[in-house]
Amino acid sequence: MKEEKEEPKKKGIKSALKEFVYGMATHDMVRYMLKTRMYLEHLFMLITLGDMLGIPILPPYYSLKILPYAVPNIATWKKRIFRERDFTDQLF
Amino acid sequence: MPQSLMEFFETHPEVNVVIYAGKGGLGKTTFSAATAHWMASKGKKVLCFSTDPQASLSDIFEKDLFGKGEQELANNLHVIEIDADKKISAYQEEIKQKILDMYKLDELPTEIDEYIKSAAAEPAMHESATFDAMADLVASENYDFYIFDMPPFGHGVRMISMAQILDAWIEKIEETRKKAMEYDAVAATLRGTAAAESQDAMINEITEIGKKLDLFTKFLSDPKKTAFLMVLIPERMAILDTKRALEMFGKLNLKLSGIIVNQVYPVELLQREELSDFLRNRITGQQNYLKDIWSEFKDHIRAICPMFDREPKGLEMIAKIAERVFEKPWMEGGTLKEVTSGE
Repeated sequence: MKEEKEEPKKKGIKSALKEFVYGMATHDMVRYMLKTRMYLEHLFMLITLGDMLGIPILPPYYSLKILPYAVPNIATWKKRIFRERDFTDQLF
Repeated sequence: MPQSLMEFFETHPEVNVVIYAGKGGLGKTTFSAATAHWMASKGKKVLCFSTDPQASLSDIFEKDLFGKGEQELANNLHVIEIDADKKISAYQEEIKQKILDMYKLDELPTEIDEYIKSAAAEPAMHESATFDAMADLVASENYDFYIFDMPPFGHGVRMISMAQILDAWIEKIEETRKKAMEYDAVAATLRGTAAAESQDAMINEITEIGKKLDLFTKFLSDPKKTAFLMVLIPERMAILDTKRALEMFGKLNLKLSGIIVNQVYPVELLQREELSDFLRNRITGQQNYLKDIWSEFKDHIRAICPMFDREPKGLEMIAKIAERVFEKPWMEGGTLKEVTSGE
């Protein structure tokens, strides 16, 4: 009985420790990677669905095939592409 | 003497795609049908495919084939005429339904609905849809022999260059996609979570398109497998158009496999005294152009086909034309002697 109660506590400590280490050591790396990933995603969307923004790149027949998978990202993509930019962008 | 059409197919046994290109109204559909008929009679399973937005094969076979899918008209002889409009709207519906299912939506977001609508209205959409249907059929490898009846010239060859460009494009996007997924995987490992699976479906889709286009491009650009034939009539405009076509072929690194000269009046008619001036002028004019054609395209000419006394329609007439073109390609009588006398 006693042991069973201690298990979740141990797990809690373990995962907290894991997250602490993750935050200290790798979070920035992951953040940077996800950012690169986003750039790639947006580049990809530009070359496949570019005509959505008025940039016709190729006939949209095959773009439509890809469209369903891109649906969740369309809003953020448009926001980023059309966003005004200033020098503070360089900082982040 | 140049190689006749039959000799051409005998010496190129691996050819299993024939594409007829050329100006409109000269007989591409007629010869597509005739070639299909001939090949089918030789025991090959043939598919004759019209990419013409007008129902031309339906007219020549005297049967409504438009948008009806693959139809068997005689033993081994299959015909398909794509209704691009119908195909596009079905495709649009499919995409819409896929989005609704994937995200469990009741209704498409307006923005996406509008995009699908506007994409389908693009003029290039028709060509792409037909092109995709062609690629699908060739990739399926269900037939021994494919014959494509292309709409008037520029379009037909543009389709080939489109295959090359699309193929390269798909390759590039496949690359970006894979790179993006690498980042995904690394980020997921660092965080200790599993990578998202839905991305896989997209790359599968792209790879599939890529494979199909790759196969099709390989087919089209392999002179061992694909023969491009043009139809020409003894008239100034058609000759000029064929010259331009030859240049275009050269630019795309394609080889023209042959030219069929069509609608030639029998020169023997000139010996008849009661012949009207109208016909006499027509025939002499044609003979002069035939000489030009002979000196200009000699090595490419595969057959000379006469003008028939009635419209080439129906299976019987098609069989007759096939026989003319394959078995008696040089029009008996004076026509060729006159033309080639200067050799």
